Amino acid sequence: MKRRTVLHDLVASAAAVLALPAVTRADGGPRVRTRYLRPPGALPEERFARQCIRCGQCGSVCPNRCIRFFGTENGVDSIDTPYIVPREQACILCMKCGEVCPSGAIQPVARTADDILARVKMGQARVDESLCLSYQGKTCGVCYRACPLPDVALSVGRLEQPKVYSACVGCGLCERSCIQLPQAIRVFPPTRAGNTA
Amino acid sequence: MKSATHLVDTGAVVNAAAGSRPTFLVRRHLNKLRWLCLSLVFATLVLLPMLHVYQSYVAAHAYDLLSSPERTFYDAMQWITQPFTDDPAEDLDSIKGSTWSATLFGLKLSDPLAVAGQIAATLAVYWPFVLTAAIPVAFTVILGRFFCGWICPATFLYELNTNFGLALRRLGFRLGGRRFDRRLKYLVLVVGLLLSALSGAMLMALVYPPAIIGREIYYVIAQGAFGTGMVFFVLTLLFDLLVARRGFCRYLCPGGALYSLLGRFRAVRIQRDVDQCNDCMRCNGVCEFGLDPMRDGFGQECNNCAACIAVCPTDVLRFRLRVNDQEYQGPGHFGPICRRRMRAGETAAGEQPFGENG
Repeated sequence: MKRRTVLHDLVASAAAVLALPAVTRADGGPRVRTRYLRPPGALPEERFARQCIRCGQCGSVCPNRCIRFFGTENGVDSIDTPYIVPREQACILCMKCGEVCPSGAIQPVARTADDILARVKMGQARVDESLCLSYQGKTCGVCYRACPLPDVALSVGRLEQPKVYSACVGCGLCERSCIQLPQAIRVFPPTRAGNTA
Repeated sequence: MKSATHLVDTGAVVNAAAGSRPTFLVRRHLNKLRWLCLSLVFATLVLLPMLHVYQSYVAAHAYDLLSSPERTFYDAMQWITQPFTDDPAEDLDSIKGSTWSATLFGLKLSDPLAVAGQIAATLAVYWPFVLTAAIPVAFTVILGRFFCGWICPATFLYELNTNFGLALRRLGFRLGGRRFDRRLKYLVLVVGLLLSALSGAMLMALVYPPAIIGREIYYVIAQGAFGTGMVFFVLTLLFDLLVARRGFCRYLCPGGALYSLLGRFRAVRIQRDVDQCNDCMRCNGVCEFGLDPMRDGFGQECNNCAACIAVCPTDVLRFRLRVNDQEYQGPGHFGPICRRRMRAGETAAGEQPFGENG
């Protein structure tokens, strides 16, 4: 190889090195185009994309097949990382993905209510009272029946009107089960809702 | 004249010996064993996502809800797994992953490049993950770049691609046979890790064919469509076909670069027995990595694939336990150069052209 070619390549690489962070972190935060959740036990978003090695084992161990993988739609640094869209298929908190993840991007969490409450924060459910049937006087309560942590994360009061507490781990089963379209209860990932794990 | 007589006599002895040599030599068939190994790994990578889909059906008690082709699939998977497990939804979790990172009965194994890439991207060492690469690294230190030749699912496709290219050449297509500097891949490795560190993105997973293949097979079977990596992989196939034979592995693969470095002083390597080599050059022609076995040129690039051993008509190439390659031993003693020299009486006094026992 000629020396000039090498030099040329080096200059081009250096330019790319300087340009890439600017491209991938242009707006200084996660670009949320579609609302998505990370698997239970996942590190906070900015650390997650760095730690994940894109082996896909979390997806292939998920019995509910709720874990999908990004293409280019969430930016270059999210390619092939796992995500969950609860309306399509929500997490059943089986905790197998954390167990199989070799990279530490999804931390292992024991499948007990205590451990899940303490260490899982996929997001936070929020009720849109203008859409919720129970708040419109039509008794529903489906979200409460779907919640794996009833009365801890979500309780219902008069006319089955749901109330979500901060203990909600964000599995999305309520959003999955909501019979309204657009759904009246939705889970927002921590960065958006202002929560941290 | 004396040396010429000597030549004829010993030649006869050797030929007689060749006639009575064992008809079965294990090393002649190692290349087939390697193909079996590559095929099995690839077949496993296809089977695992199918088992995953089957597991999800079992977990959901979904048999009655399946369509007719899905039921056929379910029955087939049940037939395959029934001898091994009564509880497929749980037990089949014991084998997961791909060659990039896998879980085998609780043992986690990862590609060393995954570890290097993660350390670069996070600028931190996560020990539980680093340790998963310990066994692969140990094997690489002993066996060199064997992963590239014996396991890598991309190699499986790249070698088929090479054969496809050879067939096209036979049909008269003119395909590129360019050569580049082999050291380019070390630059790719270093620049790639540097970029990972600066951008905080796991770039290695995006440009490393075996990682891509593992994921893409899973995507297309269990998620319904290929992902973005397939575009990159098809480009590498075209590069190999149209520009340089096995060009990606030879010149660009960052994983190959890392394995080459780790296997620099590997204990198991192929060496040539100059006494009976006839300089036919078939080994050089068959070497996927464009190395020079006929002139003892293996180096850290050799992936111990044994293709040269399989093709050698005189069985002079064999695996030896050595940590260094031999220096070039000169032309083979059965080759045309040696014979010409012999005929011209150039053999130095006392030098036995055929070694100790001819």
